[in-house]
Parts: sequence; structure tokens; C-alpha cells
Amino acid sequence: MKKELVKLIDLSRCTACRGCQVACKQWNELPAKRTKNFGSYQNPPDLQWNTWTLIRFQEHEKKNGKVNWLFRKDGCMHCTDAACIKVCPTGALYHTEFGSVSMHADKCIGCKACITACPFSVPKYNADTNKIAKCDLCYTRLQVNQPPACVLSCPTGALQIGAKDAMIKKAYARAEELGGDANVYGDKFVDGTHVVYILPERADVYEHLPVDPKVPLEIIIWKDVLKPAGLLAAGAVVAGCFLHYITHGPKTPDDETTCEGGNKS
Amino acid sequence: MKIGMIKATGPFERVVHWCVALSCLLLCFTGMGMMYHSLNGLGTMVGGMANLKTIHNFGGIFFAISLVFTIGMWWKEAGLFSFPEDWQWIIAGGGYLWHVENMPEVGKYNPGQKMFFLVVALFGAIMVASGLIIWFPFSFAVSLVRMMYVLHALGFVIIFAFFFVHLYLVTIGAPGSAPAMFTGWVTKAWVKKQHPKWLKEMEEDGTLVVYGEEKCSKKGRC
Ligand code: HEM
Ligand code: SF4
Ligand code: SF4
Ligand code: SF4
Repeated sequence: MKKELVKLIDLSRCTACRGCQVACKQWNELPAKRTKNFGSYQNPPDLQWNTWTLIRFQEHEKKNGKVNWLFRKDGCMHCTDAACIKVCPTGALYHTEFGSVSMHADKCIGCKACITACPFSVPKYNADTNKIAKCDLCYTRLQVNQPPACVLSCPTGALQIGAKDAMIKKAYARAEELGGDANVYGDKFVDGTHVVYILPERADVYEHLPVDPKVPLEIIIWKDVLKPAGLLAAGAVVAGCFLHYITHGPKTPDDETTCEGGNKS
Repeated sequence: MKIGMIKATGPFERVVHWCVALSCLLLCFTGMGMMYHSLNGLGTMVGGMANLKTIHNFGGIFFAISLVFTIGMWWKEAGLFSFPEDWQWIIAGGGYLWHVENMPEVGKYNPGQKMFFLVVALFGAIMVASGLIIWFPFSFAVSLVRMMYVLHALGFVIIFAFFFVHLYLVTIGAPGSAPAMFTGWVTKAWVKKQHPKWLKEMEEDGTLVVYGEEKCSKKGRC
């Protein structure tokens, strides 16, 4: 087993050049789609089946009244306790040896369960293929010791990839260096993500970023309680029926002769 | 057909019953193929998991239609309890759980069957509603779709377990019941044992149909 990897995203260094967004499309051969200007530099408005990573643009008023621009590279967080893997009925989504969450596209049946389950709203549906698509942390590149395309493209050093422990250590050191509200996001929930942010602002400042992401309770009840309960209940009932039959016996009609000559009186 | 058998079900009743039973079983098994990874092989058998889902979804529509007919056909006979005999029957465990000498006499459907009917009707409707919502999740709020997954799984647990009890009772648990589902004719002894009050009602109303005989005259003996 290879070491768990973490992609570290230092938002304080991101200039929103969108090199990663383009590099991702190029490496994964994802087409561009015509979009509408909705009054922001951000384009497209959200992650799409053909856009696995997206720089979100956000105007933010600081406490001192000054407005600054926040950029956030959005995309799959590669959760350890991954809701999407939990719900996938076919095993299309799976953990790689790097801890990332990859996908066997041929196994996906387009049921959209992962879309409902993901606390980060990451998987997106492609109606043409009837499959979902999302960032796979460039699994085929990791397999040959290459960094993900987005990491390679980043000109400012906002993106790095490396061993999990080393990256998390680096993240905390950098957050301390930045000071103020700067903090590390990702190592403390869903058993740790394999994409970790250094956020210059508090997490609740960022749009579309859950402050306390977790596998939804409904998903836990469904998959960890009811799923085993289904087999237990059926097994118990079958065993109960058998026991009833051998201890108590069937409820048989009193007059067995009816089948023979009829019961005319 | 043997002379003296009693007509328990009509052809329409049997067709509807088979439709709802087989589609429910089909949904249980195709659903389990999706729920348990170890049963993904059920998908392979039909050419892939995508086909399994398609069969499940359209089978669901068939089930929904069958369920409407089932409820329309049976709610009066099986959906309403009649007191006090149904209550006494429940206390006596239907004579199934332990031997009871003088079982309270119940009508065409005993309270156990009524409960099974109500569970299928209620959870069947829940399965249809939740199934449709998780089939088209983009038309609904995420929080609702998540709850529907819980309901769909819960309904499965309950329906699947109840189905085995039902299957046991109508086969080896209460011998003589199954012909009601095939030919529609059952023995008089069976009716007397299982549904004595129903037999009396039919005899009194003159609705009793005995094979090889004209319809019973009012208040007449058969
Ligand atoms: C007796 C009735 C039914 C039973 C026993 C049943 C059973 C199941 C089961 C066991 C699952 C797997 C859930 C899981 O992965 O944990 C499932 C999934 C599903 N069912 Fe049903 N179902 C029934 C009726 C319906 C109906 C009426 C519809 C819709 C018309 C429907 C649509 C679906 C859909 C869309 C899924 C989702 C597949 C997935 O996301 O994995 N079901 N069902
Ligand atoms: S962010 Fe969503 S899609 Fe990515 S691993 Fe976590 S649950 Fe799965
Ligand atoms: S849409 Fe595809 S990847 Fe997502 S849960 Fe369903 S089968 Fe798995
Ligand atoms: S890791 Fe690869 S797939 Fe994921 S956003 Fe970066 S370039 Fe795209």
C-alpha cells in the first residue's frame, strides 16, 4: 500500500488565474460548454459534469469595511468517510491506495445516490452518458508518480501534493504564519479529507463551504442501520417460521376427508 | 375439481393478487441487488446493474398500478376490523402461536391477514412515493430525497420480513390455503377451520358456491 496523499490548497496564494480549471479540462478531455454571464468573473456558475474543479469568486467585506476578493478552488474533497462510496449501489465509487476517491465509470448506473449523499455537492450528472462525473485526484497520474494536472499547472504554489502527515503539518505551519482568522480545513471531519485547505478567513465566510460537513444522518440510518436490519429481520422471520412449524405445527383443517369425496352432507 | 369444494376467490381477485405479489417480489430482489454489493450478481444476470435499476423502476410502476387495484378490491374486506371477534382473535394469537380450544370465529380475512394487508397497503404506497422521488431526485429538495432513501429502505425491511410470514402461512403453515390462489376452490373443512364466520355468512346470504351444486338457497343447507 502506497502512502496516503493530500492535496493542499493554500487559498492565500491563489490569484484566480484558473490555470487549474483549464489544466483539469485538458488532462481529462472535458469539453467546455457555453455559459451565461451572471455578473461575476466566476465561470461556470457551479461544478458541472464537464467541470471538475472551479475557482469560486466571492466579494467579501472585512470587519474594517474594506472589500476584498476571496477565491476558492472547489472540487471533490476525497473524504475518508466518503458518503458517496457508502451509497453507491454498484461499487462504481471506491477508495484508491492513495486515499483518494476514484470511479469506475463503466459501473456507474446514473442512480444519482452519490449526488444526494455528498455533503459538498460534488458529483454531477451527465444526462448524455447517464453517469456522474467528478475529480478523481488524477488517479492515473498519481499511479505513475506525477502530480495532478491542476497542481502541476499552478503558477503560484497555491496547490501542492504530498504525504498526508507532511501536508497537514505544513498546513498548520502556514496558517500560523498567516495569523488572524487563518485556519486549516479538512483534517477534522469525515475522518479527514485528502484535499485540505488553508483558509485565510473563517470557514463560514466562504460561500458553498459547509462549516461542519458530515455524512448525513439519513445516509447513516439507511446504510448502517436499515441495510443490515433487512437481512437480520428476514433471517429472524424465516427462522421463526421454521421453529413454529417444528414446535407448534401447521394449523390443519379438522376434516381431512374433504379432498377425497367432497363434504356433502 | 372435486365435488363439494368451495369457491373462495374469483379470477379477477386472483389475477390482481398475483400481479401485486410477483411485482413485489421482483422489486424486493432487484432492490436487494442494489442494496447489497454481494448481490450485485443479480444485476449481472440481467446484463448489468443499469438494467437491474430499469427493471426495478418500471416494475415499480407495475406494482403501483397493481397496488391501486389491490386496495380497491380488498379494503372493505381486509382493511376494516370488526369487533369484538377480531380483537379476541388477536388476543388468542389466531390459534397459530399456541393451541386454543374455542377460537373466536372470524370472517373472510382474519385480523392477521388484515394487518398484513394494511402493512402492504401503507408501506406499498410509501415505497411508490419514495421510489418515485429517489428516481427523479433533481425535482426535489436534497433533504427530502435523503429522507426518502430512509423510508424506502425501512419499507423494504418491513415488507420483506412480512412477505416470508405470509408465504409460510399460506403454504405449509396453514395447509389448504394455496388453492385459493390457483384454482380459487378450497375445501369446506379448510374454510370451517380458518374462516368459520365467513362460511356462516355465505350460507346465510346464499352466496356460497359449492362445486357441483346449484347456488345454495337462502338459509338452505349445502
Ligand atoms: C414493494 C415495493 C418495493 C420494494 C420492496 C423496493 C425495494 C428497494 C430496495 C431494497 C432498494 C435498494 C435501496 C438501497 O440501495 O439501499 C430500492 C431502490 C430503489 N427503488 Fe425500490 N422498492 C419498491 C418499490 C419501488 C417503486 C414503486 C419505485 C419507483 C417507481 C422504486 C424505485 C427505486 C429507486 C429509484 C431506487 C434507487 C436505486 C438506488 O439509488 O440505488 N422502488 N428499492
Ligand atoms: S467530497 Fe463528495 S464526492 Fe468527494 S469523496 Fe467526499 S462525499 Fe465523495
Ligand atoms: S450515480 Fe453512479 S457513482 Fe453515483 S452512486 Fe449511482 S452508480 Fe454510484
Ligand atoms: S486533481 Fe486532476 S481531476 Fe482533480 S481537479 Fe485537479 S486536475 Fe482535475
